[in-house]
Amino acid sequence: MSAVKNFLDRIMLLDLFAGLGITFRHIFKKKETVQYPEERLEPAHRFRGMFRLDEDRCIKCTLCARDCPIDIVYIDWHQELNPVTEKKEKLLDRFDIDVQRCMFCGLCEEACPTKPKSIWLTSKTYELSSYDRWENLYVDIDELQDWKIRPAYTDKEVV
Amino acid sequence: MNLLDSVRESVGPAIFDYAVSPLLKIMVLIFMGVLPLISYLVLAERKILGFMQVRLGPNRVGPWGVLQPIADIAKLLVKQDIIPSTAIRWAFILAPCMVVAPAFIIFAVIPFGPSAAQSGGQLDFFITDVNVALLFVVAMATVGVYGIILGGWASNSKFSLLGGLRAAAQMISYEIPQGFSLVIPLLMAGTMSMNGIVQAQFDQGRWFIFQGWGLGLVAFFIYFVAGVAESNRNPFDLPEAESELVAGFHTEYTGMRFALFFLGEYANMIVISAVAVTLFLGGWHQPFPNAGWASFLNLQWLPLVGPGLAGVLWFSAKLFAFLFVYIWFRGTFPRYRFDQLMDLGWKWLIPMVLLTVFGTGLWKILQ
Repeated sequence: MSAVKNFLDRIMLLDLFAGLGITFRHIFKKKETVQYPEERLEPAHRFRGMFRLDEDRCIKCTLCARDCPIDIVYIDWHQELNPVTEKKEKLLDRFDIDVQRCMFCGLCEEACPTKPKSIWLTSKTYELSSYDRWENLYVDIDELQDWKIRPAYTDKEVV
Repeated sequence: MNLLDSVRESVGPAIFDYAVSPLLKIMVLIFMGVLPLISYLVLAERKILGFMQVRLGPNRVGPWGVLQPIADIAKLLVKQDIIPSTAIRWAFILAPCMVVAPAFIIFAVIPFGPSAAQSGGQLDFFITDVNVALLFVVAMATVGVYGIILGGWASNSKFSLLGGLRAAAQMISYEIPQGFSLVIPLLMAGTMSMNGIVQAQFDQGRWFIFQGWGLGLVAFFIYFVAGVAESNRNPFDLPEAESELVAGFHTEYTGMRFALFFLGEYANMIVISAVAVTLFLGGWHQPFPNAGWASFLNLQWLPLVGPGLAGVLWFSAKLFAFLFVYIWFRGTFPRYRFDQLMDLGWKWLIPMVLLTVFGTGLWKILQ
């Protein structure tokens, strides 16, 4: 019996017509295309985008620089007497990240001992392409703290 | 008109009527009708394929992408034209022309609207009415293959050669069922003239696809499958099989020469669809031309539409339906393997078409 059915299927080309039906129905479906420069998808909640740094929270322990597997975090600091509290404080001279080699592994964020973290990657900032890797992908402390100089990549506020 | 008359005087009326005038008409038809149609067919194909794959297709050049064909043509025209140093030069140059020319010449015998006498207008909506039109179509459709084989051979590249040889094998296999399937409307109509076949469908009150115990439908099916194979379209696009042969016979072609192959493929699609419309779907006649209740289908309640234009409109509507089916096939079916292709051709289509011809003969006798 199944042989007869098979033969009929082959003669009537039922499976071919089923396939044609599927493609025809897809013509009217909602399209998945995101028209990129005009529309953007918001990255997932735990998406690792560009770094951000909070200098006030940072205790200048340099653990992030130590844990970085490719040593692209450069930190220089010095101690200075705070005239108000009369205590010695660490002050940052330099906090640079050479993002062009970064693989966004997030180990720096994991290593950070402060709560909340003073360096983090969940910033939803992902448009990092540039015409010059040295100019735009070597970021210093000002840039790490202020993302206003980079465009907001979602309609939502960049965290 | 004076210019045409003086040309007619100088070359002699016989040559003018049988050679010069049809060629001029073909040129007008191609440049005014077929080339724009082809360029927008490419756009339509990309759009519809995109929709079937749940994406948008080209939409950047102009609203809805309507200027895309113009951008494409401009790109192809200014592209560097490369002839490989190892190629056989004259054959390499000749091959694309040999693909395009036959496809265009077939338009000479296709009636895409009523004649002046039928419509009461001034224009004949066909170029020539030859009494062996059907044979002419078969002959010319075959010539196109030589261009593909020649192109594959002249490129002097293994991919091109394999593509060209595949085209040859495929053509031989599918020419037979296609040729035989044309015999069926021929038997039904009793004439080889395209206009005669259209007229016969009108007189018998039935499209040939529904004529003769359903044999017309079988013949139509075989014709269309073989036609898809003839025009090297999916799922029978083995000669250019992207995933196996880079681009098959046109691997080495660039710029406008490649565009000519492309043009030939699309012109072939249009030709095969137009022949199918003429032979099986009543040509330029409206559906149910003899039934009183269907008289609103003559479209003459539209502004500016007379009987002539209505015929052209119906012809184009049927043609576009076919072209949509071509694109639909491309969006749906994966490519056949080569042995499957040969199986289908020789073990299924040829026996089927022979039986159908036999059956139609029987129908004709018993009628």
